[in-house]
Formats: sequence, structure tokens, C-alpha cells
Amino acid sequence: MHHAHIDKFAYQDSPVHRLDSRVKFIVVLVFTAMVVSLPRTSVSILACYAVGPFALLVWAKIPLRFAFKQILLVSPFVLVLALSCPLYDRTPATVAFGPFSWRLTLGWMRCFTILGKFTVTMSALIALVSTTRFNDLLAGLQRLGLPKVLVIQLGFLYRYIFVLIDRAHHILQARQGRKLRSLGFKAELRIAAAMLGSLFVRSIDTAEHINIAMQARAFDGKWRTLSRLQIRAADYIFALAAALFMAGLYLLVKPVLQ
Amino acid sequence: MHMANELLSVPVAAGTLAIAAAGLGFICRKVRQVITADKLALMGILGAFVFAGQMVNFQLPAMPGTSGHMVGAVLLAIVLGPHLAAIVISSVVIVQCLIFQDGGLLALGCNIINMALVPAYAGYFLYRIVTAGSASSLRVHIGAMIACVVAVEAGAILVPVQAALAGVLVVPFSTFLITMIGVHFLVGLVEGLITVAVLGYLQQVRSDLVLHSLPGKVRLSKSAVLATLVVFTIIIGAGVSLLASGLPDGLEWSYAERPDEPDFEPAVSNDDSRIAAVDDFQSRYSVMPDYSVRASKLGQVAEQQAGSSPGWTSFAGVMGSVITMAAIWLTAWILRKRQSPTA
Repeated sequence: MHHAHIDKFAYQDSPVHRLDSRVKFIVVLVFTAMVVSLPRTSVSILACYAVGPFALLVWAKIPLRFAFKQILLVSPFVLVLALSCPLYDRTPATVAFGPFSWRLTLGWMRCFTILGKFTVTMSALIALVSTTRFNDLLAGLQRLGLPKVLVIQLGFLYRYIFVLIDRAHHILQARQGRKLRSLGFKAELRIAAAMLGSLFVRSIDTAEHINIAMQARAFDGKWRTLSRLQIRAADYIFALAAALFMAGLYLLVKPVLQ
Repeated sequence: MHMANELLSVPVAAGTLAIAAAGLGFICRKVRQVITADKLALMGILGAFVFAGQMVNFQLPAMPGTSGHMVGAVLLAIVLGPHLAAIVISSVVIVQCLIFQDGGLLALGCNIINMALVPAYAGYFLYRIVTAGSASSLRVHIGAMIACVVAVEAGAILVPVQAALAGVLVVPFSTFLITMIGVHFLVGLVEGLITVAVLGYLQQVRSDLVLHSLPGKVRLSKSAVLATLVVFTIIIGAGVSLLASGLPDGLEWSYAERPDEPDFEPAVSNDDSRIAAVDDFQSRYSVMPDYSVRASKLGQVAEQQAGSSPGWTSFAGVMGSVITMAAIWLTAWILRKRQSPTA
């Protein structure tokens, strides 16, 4: 299951990993907004924007194959929408690229743009989450104003996802070991419901145990972390570089085209 | 169904993020008075349960090879009450976005509204309506079924509406809407069946969970139920009226550009000056108003264009980017090579 090791790269060490989570989050958010607000038929400019996340991924030693696999994994919905564009927008257009030029339809241009934007924004997001430990990201988000209840909720959720996924694995394995053929929908549904129900009841019991354990250790509803957020010189440099990169792309490309 | 960044414009993304943030902030503040430290673990683990529960799949009839799984919004709303369920499912959506990259960062607002806030409240509301008075097992099952179908549909309807507001739809609005409704009717039906089955199991094993007595459950007051109804009706009404006026494709007017009229101005007026400002920023920010495309609309022929500047500009841009990336990769490779013998 890909889930169990999804953020394994967040625990590596690199200059990118050491950056402050708030700075990274804001940079990625602004970057995503800029890419999304690009016009709907401009494909080539996306290549320039792709340099940003690419540099981050390489610098942080995140395997590019991992990033691509991850993008592919989450792409189906966007893929369907992108591929339906050529069906609906058949306005002919001529696309010139260097010495070449093709006759295409606007729909295809849009399809490529959607896919390109998806790839670029997703790789930026992957660069963020695979270089930031989730707890650091949460601490940063709390500083940025995320409600405390939600921060604690996310912390607990993250802590127990993998525990419960493991449990679900065991239950699934048990079903696989006993159910040797397809039993028809009704029986399948009943079995799945029993699996989910027992998982649910066990989750609630686990919560009770954890709660008792935490209260024994004086948990009072406050979330205390060891991670101290600090904006250092490297963060300023990174923010400045990112701002220059985005502003530079904006300023450099615009006059050329007008 | 996770909304993607690419189906949104920045103003719509900002607006939905603001709505989701305001909604979540309100719920969190409201819940803080009721919640005690002992409910935090429960909520967190039920969030994790939603993830684990999605792995438990089962074969669907009539469609060999496909399998369904539970989403769990309505189940949580029934067991935890709508406020806590909304927080739990929002946290699930946020983790799906941040850790599993389902749905983009900008689309997070939309996803929280579509998949957490609306299903939790709509589902809980309908369930309460049906089971009002007596909570016989038949009523519980019918209520859960209706709640699941409507909750899933309500979230699904919002996706094309948001995309249409953003003006990025190439697919006609009505086609998209009908597809989403159709697909999500099936999704909702499966969700309803499995939720009912799980509730049936829970009634046998832990009937206290289903019968409103889980510690930590925050129930809605009657006025709150009514308020939910009003908001929900407005949302659905807005969706339906958009559909009605949208036939055939009235929303095309909100497209930022129309291929048949190059100097077409978008006819959508936004009353909010801030949205207008963002819109303005966005239109000024059109870095690459794809020249070659515009030019072909003006009737120029390909031969004239082949040597003209826009093609070469984009060529230079792409080549430059590729070369930069190669340089970055090479530098990193060399640095790593140099480091590895010493390490």
C-alpha cells in the first residue's frame, strides 16, 4: 500500500528540509495561485514555471520518479476533464513552436494546459510535503491562524492513520484468507459492513484507551511540541529567491509578448 | 470527488477558501465550549478510521471488476453529531490534500465545503428529519440511506457550479452537471448501502453508538437544524437555478474569453469589489495570451506565423527551462557524487 510510506522523504535532511514550514507553505501557495491564473491556452510558459518545483525536488534529493508516480496516482479526475476538452472546443488554432507549427484545436491546447498546470502545481505541493514533517507543517499552520481544535485534530489524525491502516490490512488479509470466491453482492456487503463495524468499534475503544493513557500523563487539551519555529537567514534567502523567481518570470515574459 | 486546482480561478479559490475557513473557524469556536480534552483523541482516531475504512472495499454488482468503499461522512455525522463530524472530515480532506495530494492546495476550500461541511450538515439534518420521533431500526436505515445519497449529491453538484463560476469549463455546464449527478447517484447509493449495513452491525454490537449516546456528541438545537435547512435549500436552489438558466449553456457568458469574439469582455459582474480587484489582477496577469492562437483567429495563415516571434518566444522559453533543469540536475548530481565518497 502506497499510503504507509507516503511521506517518508519528509524525514530526510537537506537545505530544503531545514527551511521554515511557514515560508515554504506560503511560497507554494502563491506559486500555485500564479500558475493557476495563467491563461488557459498557454502551454509553453508552464515549462518556465516548472523550473521552480523541479529545483526544489532535486535540491531536496526527492527522487523524481516518486514525484511523477505520485502525480499519476492522483490524476484520474483531472485526466478525464482534460481529455474531454478536445471534444467540446473544436475551434481551430495554429500553434507555432520554434521552427514548427501545427494545426490544432483550442480544446487540445486547453487539455495540454490543464495537464501542464496540474503537473506543475502538484509537483510544487509534493515538494512542500515531502520536505516538511507534518508536525512542523502543523505548527507552522497554527502560527498562521489555523484554529487550535483543528490543529490538534490533524495531529491526532496523522498519528493514528498508519495504525488504523495497519489494522485494516489485517482485517483485509483475514477476509482474503477465508473468502475463496465471490459471494454475491449481498453477502459481500454484509462482510464489508462487519469489517467496517468492528474497525469502528475498535477505533472507539482505542480512543478511550489513549484518552485514559494521556490523562494519566496530564494531558489537558494543550498541544505542546518540541519543534521551535524560527525564521533564519536561509528562510529569508529562500523567500527572496522564490519572490525573484516568480516576479522575474512575470516581468520578463510579459513585455516580450506585448 | 476531489476538486482540482485547474478547475478553479484564483478568485473562486480565494472565495471558497474564505468561506471554508470562516465556516470551520465558526464551528471550532462553537465546539470549543463543549469539547473537553477527552474528545480530542476520539475525533482524531475516527478521522483515521475514515482513511482505514476507505481501504475496505467490496465488489459491486453488475459491474465486475469494480469495487466500492465507504466515505463515512454520514456515519460520522450520525455518531458524532454534525459539528464534530464536520471538523473530523475537514481534517481528513486536509490530510488527503497535504499528504496524499488528492486535490490541490487552492482547491482545498472547495473540497472542504463539498466533501466535509455540506455532507456532514446535510446528511445529519436529513437523518434527524427521518428519525425524528422514533428511532426504529427501519427509520434509522431509511434516514441513513437518504442522508447518504443527498449528502453525496449535494457535494457533487457544487463541483460543476464552482468550476462554472471560475469560468474554466470547456465541457458544457449542463453536461458536466448531469454527469456528476449521475455518477454520484451511484456513489451515494453505494455509500448509503454500506452505511446502512454498518449501522445495522453497530446496532447489534454497540447499539448505544447509534442511539445518540456516544460521549462527546454535540447535537444540534432545533433552530440550528432549521438554519441548516435554509442554508442547504439556498445552496441547492442556487445550483438548480444555475442549471435552469444555464440551459443551453448560459454560463458560457462567464467564460473569460470566447473564441468567436477575440475582444469579448466577460459579462459576469461581481458586486464584491475585492473579487473584482482579484479579477483585474488576474486579467492583467495574463502572462502569455497565447499569440499564435489569437493570431489564427484573426485569419492569419500558418506560413506567416511560422517565422513570427511568438513561436520562437515559446520555443526559447521551453528550451531555456529544459536547459536550466538539466543544469540544476547536473549540479546536484555532481555535488552528490563529490559528497558520497567522503560520506
